[in-house]
Amino acid sequence: AAGGAKGGSKYVIEPHRHEGIFVARGKEDLLVTKNLVPGESVYGEKRISVDGPEGTKIEYRVWNPFRSKLAAAVLGGVDHLHVAPGKKVLYLGAASGTSVSHVADVVGPQGAVYAVEFSHRSGRDLINMAKKRTNVVPIIEDARHPHKYRMLVPMVDVIFADVAQPDQARIITLNAHHFLKNNGHIVISIKASCIDSTVDAATVFAREVKKLQEERVKPQEQLTLEPYERDHAVVVGRYVRNK
Amino acid sequence: MVNYVLFETASGYALFERLQSEEIGAKLEQVQQNVLDLGKFTQMIKLKSFAPFKSAADALENANDVSEGIVHPSLKAFLEMNLPSKKSKVQLGVAERNLAGAIKSELGVDCATDEVAQEMIRGIRLWADKLLSQLKSGDIEKAQLGLGHSYSRAKVKFNVNRSDNMII
Repeated sequence: AAGGAKGGSKYVIEPHRHEGIFVARGKEDLLVTKNLVPGESVYGEKRISVDGPEGTKIEYRVWNPFRSKLAAAVLGGVDHLHVAPGKKVLYLGAASGTSVSHVADVVGPQGAVYAVEFSHRSGRDLINMAKKRTNVVPIIEDARHPHKYRMLVPMVDVIFADVAQPDQARIITLNAHHFLKNNGHIVISIKASCIDSTVDAATVFAREVKKLQEERVKPQEQLTLEPYERDHAVVVGRYVRNK
Repeated sequence: MVNYVLFETASGYALFERLQSEEIGAKLEQVQQNVLDLGKFTQMIKLKSFAPFKSAADALENANDVSEGIVHPSLKAFLEMNLPSKKSKVQLGVAERNLAGAIKSELGVDCATDEVAQEMIRGIRLWADKLLSQLKSGDIEKAQLGLGHSYSRAKVKFNVNRSDNMII
């Protein structure tokens, strides 16, 4: 993939309302993150280079909302993302690490991403991506058993989960009990058909929210990911371990 | 009541001793409150001993055993050396049930994985940087990064089929 702005297409970078995320304004507006490893794409995504202070260049990577639920949530107008510069994020369902690489860009060198993925096939790509981004700790392990990776994870500010499993509420709250700070946040992507395909999506979302509430998560917002994903919702909540 | 706590880090094993012995301090809500305040927490808990791993390979071996709930010889030696010899007076808080069972059968020490133990482990995880005085700030993060890579590489390597383990 050719990097940099193509001849003639000029972009102006503006900070997004969410700290650590940017918008490239040009012929079309693009959501971008500041590339932690300038000069390289992770999965063939387009890069945009702009002039920085004193003749330097700053490079951004295009964040595609059709490929990343977090990007879709940002464009869908989520109020608070909780993934921000300096934050520690536990990322469940990291897959090949394409979306994780953008989260790593957002939290920056002062933050860290603990990326859990069980599939060995995607895990190899995740490990390779993490070799370049030293704020990503790859964890090839089953998110159902957080105690197995307890030596690798500190207390975190946010848990983001995209695990698409029927018992995902349990997986997330179990991880919260181990690793999420009191009053920390969870951001979950829920794919209705992965949980129950016999009832409508709204019912599935409501049931999942209830399961979270039973495990000390106070729901704060919920939005669907239309038009980027069908029957998907993102739920944001606060973990209230003690009053 | 839990009076010692085992905390496994990417840099080594840590044993904490619980200072408050009154029954009141055992209440879960009170532990939860104390955990949030470093000043109060350090009145409740004290680092007894810390044994760093000898090398990256040693750390990986231990991490694999901890993950599987197996008592590695160096964990056994660490606990034997640092727990009081009168084992009947010890109740060791452990993060996970299988490891607790293994410690109990290998060392004859009573272990607990109850809510109070879990709450104290959360507290230690939250303040680990401050409580483990031998380590410099940021050391644990660095160790976690290194161990995360070696642990994950080993997982991927040992999958001979090079295909996914499907969850059904």
